[in-house]
Amino acid sequence: MSSSHSTLSKADLSAAQTTLGGAANPLFFLCGGLGLAGLGIGFALGWNRADNLQYFLHSYLWNYCFVLGIALGALFFVLLQHATRAGWSVTVRRLAEFLTAPFGLLAVLFLPILIPVILGHYNTDFVRYNIYEWANPAAVHESEVLAHKAAYLNPTFFAVRAVFYFGVWWYLGRFYLAKSVEQDRTGDACVTLRLERCSYVSILFYAATVTFASIDWLMSLMPDWFSTIFGLYYFSGCMVAIMAVLILASIALQAAGRLTDAVTVEHYHDLGKFLFTFVVFWGYIAFSQYLLIWYANIPEETQWYLLRQNGAWKWISLALLFGQLLIPFAALLSRHVKRQKYLLGFSAAWVLAMHWLDLYWVVMPSMKTERPPFNPIDVCLLVGLVGLYAAGVLRAAAGRSLIPRSDPRLEEALAFENT
Amino acid sequence: MSTATEIIDNLTDDPRRRAPLVIGGEDFASVTETVCRVPEAKKTPLLWYAAFALSGSIALYFVALIGYLVFTGIGVWGNNSPVFWAFDITNFVFWIGIGHAGTLISAILFLFRQKWRTSINRFSEAMTIFAVICALIFPGIHVGRIWLAYWLSPYPNQMSVWPNFRSPLLWDVFAVSTYFTVSLMFWYLGMIPDLATLRDRATTKLRYFLYGTFALGWRGSARQWHVYERAYLLLAGLSTPLVVSVHSVVSTDFAVAQLPGWHSTILPPYFVAGAIFSGFAMVVTLLVPARKIFGLENLVTVRHLDNMNKIILATGSMVGYAYFIEFFMAWYSGNPYEWFAAMNRAAGPYAPLYWLMVFCNVLVPQLFWFKKWRTTPALMLIVAVLVNVGMWLERFVIIVVSLSRDFLPSSWSMYYPTWVDISMLIGSFGLFFTFFLLFVRFLPMVAMAEVKGVMKKKDEV
Repeated sequence: MSSSHSTLSKADLSAAQTTLGGAANPLFFLCGGLGLAGLGIGFALGWNRADNLQYFLHSYLWNYCFVLGIALGALFFVLLQHATRAGWSVTVRRLAEFLTAPFGLLAVLFLPILIPVILGHYNTDFVRYNIYEWANPAAVHESEVLAHKAAYLNPTFFAVRAVFYFGVWWYLGRFYLAKSVEQDRTGDACVTLRLERCSYVSILFYAATVTFASIDWLMSLMPDWFSTIFGLYYFSGCMVAIMAVLILASIALQAAGRLTDAVTVEHYHDLGKFLFTFVVFWGYIAFSQYLLIWYANIPEETQWYLLRQNGAWKWISLALLFGQLLIPFAALLSRHVKRQKYLLGFSAAWVLAMHWLDLYWVVMPSMKTERPPFNPIDVCLLVGLVGLYAAGVLRAAAGRSLIPRSDPRLEEALAFENT
Repeated sequence: MSTATEIIDNLTDDPRRRAPLVIGGEDFASVTETVCRVPEAKKTPLLWYAAFALSGSIALYFVALIGYLVFTGIGVWGNNSPVFWAFDITNFVFWIGIGHAGTLISAILFLFRQKWRTSINRFSEAMTIFAVICALIFPGIHVGRIWLAYWLSPYPNQMSVWPNFRSPLLWDVFAVSTYFTVSLMFWYLGMIPDLATLRDRATTKLRYFLYGTFALGWRGSARQWHVYERAYLLLAGLSTPLVVSVHSVVSTDFAVAQLPGWHSTILPPYFVAGAIFSGFAMVVTLLVPARKIFGLENLVTVRHLDNMNKIILATGSMVGYAYFIEFFMAWYSGNPYEWFAAMNRAAGPYAPLYWLMVFCNVLVPQLFWFKKWRTTPALMLIVAVLVNVGMWLERFVIIVVSLSRDFLPSSWSMYYPTWVDISMLIGSFGLFFTFFLLFVRFLPMVAMAEVKGVMKKKDEV
């Protein structure tokens, strides 16, 4: 205990180190401005294609699920730290808490997906803007399978579920951030106990909502396809994303002279281990799904992979196999890589880019194009959605401490060493 | 009495400090004493003899039944067409599942720096090894002509007969035998320092010779500890994917097929969660009486049991998630065979077993939301036993209920176990407990060296 006390007193936790200070506002406007510009240009380009916004909406869904995945991964990270009474992660937990703050904004940003579904329900003129086949009454009328699924896949229930998902996520994100910030002020250790107790039930709600959200928004793009593991597939990607983002965020903050004492090489090492873990976990889930569908060779299941392994698409599939599993596996296995900030940062950026490609691979084949389509719209929407999300995160972070400064396990986190 | 207050301390959660893992004022010497007095006891307790006589008889009965099976044929079981797999494979998957807790505790919890694992890892690893032995017997005898069982292994031969590498049954052979080998090495490696302790304390020549032989010349030098800890870390890293892979491969025995009720992409992670679930339930089932009988309450505290019960609750909820998603997808798929298989489970001829399974695996573990159930040995024993029952039933439901009614109604057939089926299930428990009793009598039940490692931390506090 005595050694950890000295760590706390030695660590520089002054306001200059642990708040964004004056940088928060300019960054907020920069990210927000970039975000709005990206979305605007993306929409203009999409409208110009005269394809009933099909490309725009597919690309939007892809990038939206990417950004949402970061927030969802952050939410699970926070819940997991509380549920396991983790000590090492206290100094990076607040970053994850900030990343869960903008679920309200994400709900608004979901409207471009939701509105065409709803409008198409009331006016067939709008059906052409829809990317979901099951929301097209004519298609449902013709297909026995879609008619069977209409009890679940229908615009009204789709909207109701989306409201429920966002309600749960918004509430959980807000609750854990607010309580944690309250503890900064009061220093009350009971808050930690309360959050731990709440985390178990929260995880149940989290599992249910993430599973069904991924079924609704991603799996139902091919409405006659199904896979029981799909919820886990999206979840595993979210966890890859959040570990990469936490590493990159810590590096960026340290480059700006923040948290230089609070986040040590030991924390990078552990974050790197988790990144490795979830890269492997993603590979395990992806492989399980592929192997079982390939082996049984049932047409209604293989159709999803047939789209993705024929023609030029197979190069994307192979890029994922190597880029998101085998190469990072080899790189992150090394203790050296995990303990070198910039090597780890490069690995994290690489994996994050691959996760972006992974969601591309999930969403974009629904366009039924012969070759994998790429368009400046993709970049605009990536900048747009990431920018707006970052602005939302910055707004939550402005004026608040970047670490839970009164957390009872802060000393343990500062003193922690990998043996 | 300081013990009473410390027990309360050990269960109270104060986020400002970590709860002690060893209570009752035990020091290094008393830990050694507590653990060693069981294998060193001059007189074997009468209770042990009684238990050994019982389980040994059942184990011998099991061996006799295997002889009867081999000489008579697989027909002594109730297996039929289309239920080609029944109790045999159910027992196999059940025992393999039980064998998941030990290596999870010693490998994955080690990588996660869960220090409380030190009190229970030896015990659970031993259980793992015995469970895997029980498991391996069933597919071994199911081949019928067991004198040809060596055909399972690929070796160059002049008949040019090779096993089918595309078959998950062959993957099983590799997965389970690798798992068994690594688990055994891990268990043995961890035991070396403790065997040396027993050697050093030995009072007879025979004990000195035997413990000394297996302690491999351990002297506890800094250099030896350094090598030991590196080996431990490497084995933990190697075992971690094995914990996940074994039951994933077992799940592919079913999931690669096209049979509704078997073919489902969530099966690999769902089987792994179920295996950990059943494994922990078995550890709790055995540990609750063992810690009482052998006076290990200060080492294996209620807090340890509390943690294990939380893992049971977590993995039980994952299993419940998988049940629900399977049911939902059976409907969502719009595939009439999938939906029939789901309804056949819930409302078919074996429906009572299905609902008993849901009761034992999904509802009963929910009692662990209450601290009273997680921390009262008698209550948690009820839950753990029911989970064991439920997990056996789960495999039965998956295997037999799916097989008995496949695509072609004209080939449907019910399965009923024969007396040999039931006796062999009981017999495997006899074998398991025989091994287990030998273990608790002759080997250190708790990893003394590791427990002392986590006590140091306590002294600093």
